[in-house]
Amino acid sequence: MNLARKRPGMAALVAGTMAVVALLVGYLGLSAYGYLVPAVVALICAALVWQGRLAGLVRVIALVSMVSGTLLVLVLALGDGLGDRKLDISAVALLVNLATGGPATALVAPLLLLGLRPGRPLATWFA
Amino acid sequence: MLHRFAPLALLALPAVADAAAFSGKASLPDGRPAYGAMVTVSDATGTMRQTVYAAADGSYAIRTPYAGKLKLRVRMAGFADGETTREAGATSSARVDLALGQFASLAAMNETLSASAYNARLPWPDVRRDRPAFVSQCNYCHQVGNAWTRVPRDHEQWIAEVAKMENMLAMPSKAEGATIARVLAQGFDGKPFAASQSYGASAELAKAKVREWLVGDGYTFIHDADIAQDGLLYGTDEGHDLLWVLNRETGKIDKYPLPDSHLPRGGLFSGMKLPIGQFTGQHGPHSMAQTSDGRIWITNALSSTLMSFDPKTKAFKLYPVGHDALYPHTIRVDAHDVVWFTIVASNQIGRFDPKTEQMTVLHLPANGVLRWVTDMLFSTLMRIGSWFPGEAVHLNLSTHRFFGTRILAFPYGIDVNPVDGSIWYAKLYASKIGRIDPVTLAVKEWDTPMQGPRRPRFDAAGKFWIPAFDEGGLMRFDPKTERFATWRIPVVGRNEYETPYALNVDRRSGQVWMAANNSDRIIRFDPASQRFFTYPSPTRVTVLRDFSFTSDGQVCSSSSNMPAAAIEDGRANFVCIEPEGGAIDRKALGG
Repeated sequence: MNLARKRPGMAALVAGTMAVVALLVGYLGLSAYGYLVPAVVALICAALVWQGRLAGLVRVIALVSMVSGTLLVLVLALGDGLGDRKLDISAVALLVNLATGGPATALVAPLLLLGLRPGRPLATWFA
Repeated sequence: MLHRFAPLALLALPAVADAAAFSGKASLPDGRPAYGAMVTVSDATGTMRQTVYAAADGSYAIRTPYAGKLKLRVRMAGFADGETTREAGATSSARVDLALGQFASLAAMNETLSASAYNARLPWPDVRRDRPAFVSQCNYCHQVGNAWTRVPRDHEQWIAEVAKMENMLAMPSKAEGATIARVLAQGFDGKPFAASQSYGASAELAKAKVREWLVGDGYTFIHDADIAQDGLLYGTDEGHDLLWVLNRETGKIDKYPLPDSHLPRGGLFSGMKLPIGQFTGQHGPHSMAQTSDGRIWITNALSSTLMSFDPKTKAFKLYPVGHDALYPHTIRVDAHDVVWFTIVASNQIGRFDPKTEQMTVLHLPANGVLRWVTDMLFSTLMRIGSWFPGEAVHLNLSTHRFFGTRILAFPYGIDVNPVDGSIWYAKLYASKIGRIDPVTLAVKEWDTPMQGPRRPRFDAAGKFWIPAFDEGGLMRFDPKTERFATWRIPVVGRNEYETPYALNVDRRSGQVWMAANNSDRIIRFDPASQRFFTYPSPTRVTVLRDFSFTSDGQVCSSSSNMPAAAIEDGRANFVCIEPEGGAIDRKALGG
């Protein structure tokens, strides 16, 4: 990582958004401790994006968060046909999602993943 | 008022069996008549009792089916009980005058006050802001202020109590819980205080009679009691997975255990800590309704199942509700014998046709994105909790911790409009009522003018009567005009509030019966005169959750404070009020 490089606007936007969201979720976590986990993960991701480090890890976290969050919403809204398995699937999806930054990270994830495509300023920032 | 009940009274007269009969005067310590005093006769075993209320001249008359060594007690707010015993034969009649006493101390007087007198003194920083969560979440299951709950504790001990309640499904936010703990630590200080309560004697009261039968143990939790076609009183024991059956004529009580399920203790709620013995069953039988073929349909709250019980064969049959249904609650049957029930924790309504055995689960309107998320996630969180039995880990993921109770919708009571067959429900936390078209299943909702609509019922004309639990009120909604009318329930002491839970309308008389669970009362509202009539409960710590009517006009329920151990007798009971029963006894004994 070259600290002399100029940080792209996308990196600042994503990192800033994730940090703000992490702090908000962390505040909720003071009442329901389980939300401290996604807050910490989101904060770590924000720091990594800000510093342009560990692109692979950030990509995996964003991808898993997005997939698990999407799965959770779809199963909850449309999963009645799954029978008793519905709640097992939604429960696993929720836990995985929280472990990868929670719903807030899942919402930022598309932006992050698009920015991490080869050749994009954000991907170059991590290079 | 007599004309309303007179035909019923005449029907009831020949059926009354009398062994020991007593009459006399109930008096205050200074000798004046004790108008409205309760005169109670307990049977020799102490498991059954009957009560009448003294007239304006202090006179009372009561016929009972009891024999042996009987206890007579006179009770009235503001005075010490007067008691005596009498040996009674099979058909004996005796004159017994009873006198109320003076209290030896202020502390002794305090022991006789209802919970409402104690929680009226709680020092809420802002009553309108801070008390609603307490009323909604603490008074939901039990009184707070009775002898069991008003034990002085410091702030940390109350925090632990609030946490214990949260482990049993109370849902205050973290901030609300801390406020409740602080206020209870300050308010329940154990110091004697002056207080005055008046239960409002009336000529109507002096005509009434109350019958009680003790049942179960200190952890029996008979949520609902219903009179079936056979005239027996059935009670669903959510704590012990039992169906209790009382023969009111003989006093015989039978119990039928629900069949075992594959679920662990606590059913789908096995992740809860369940610390004081409630919710120890697997099914959690909650409410009942009967179809015309005689089968009794039971919602099993903990196992999320529907169950039928055949009173003839005593056989149970189980029907899974399926989907992500969580906590099937109040149940009613429509004119086509279709069974409808609310599913509180997943914001749904269940519809079951016993003829086809087809189960339909209807999602109700979400009432906002955050409520949708919470309602949708609630069942998921319970599933996660069930992977860690007794640890209550899901609480650390529940949004109620920061948003509070109102984040859930909680469809609670339900009833069928006798005029058009539509299905109506009340959302306890979202404070809405809704109508479901029974054919199209189209839903329309209205905001209620008072908070906490609990268990509503229709009158014969299709008017919807709704108890406002959180605001101590009564609401009436006219589906034709879509307008509400509201009334405040009278209280018995200064700064007190009321928590109306059960409500039912006797469609023959039009009278609205309500539970006033904060002050050990049953209330009757007469829509014609718009007057409230109060019936003080002979038993301290009376919490009633539903009413059912007998063919002869009695109003029956089950006393189900959590835990039953906190009730004056230390046990649950079945209770029936006969509005004209006292007058019948008085007439029979020549009064």
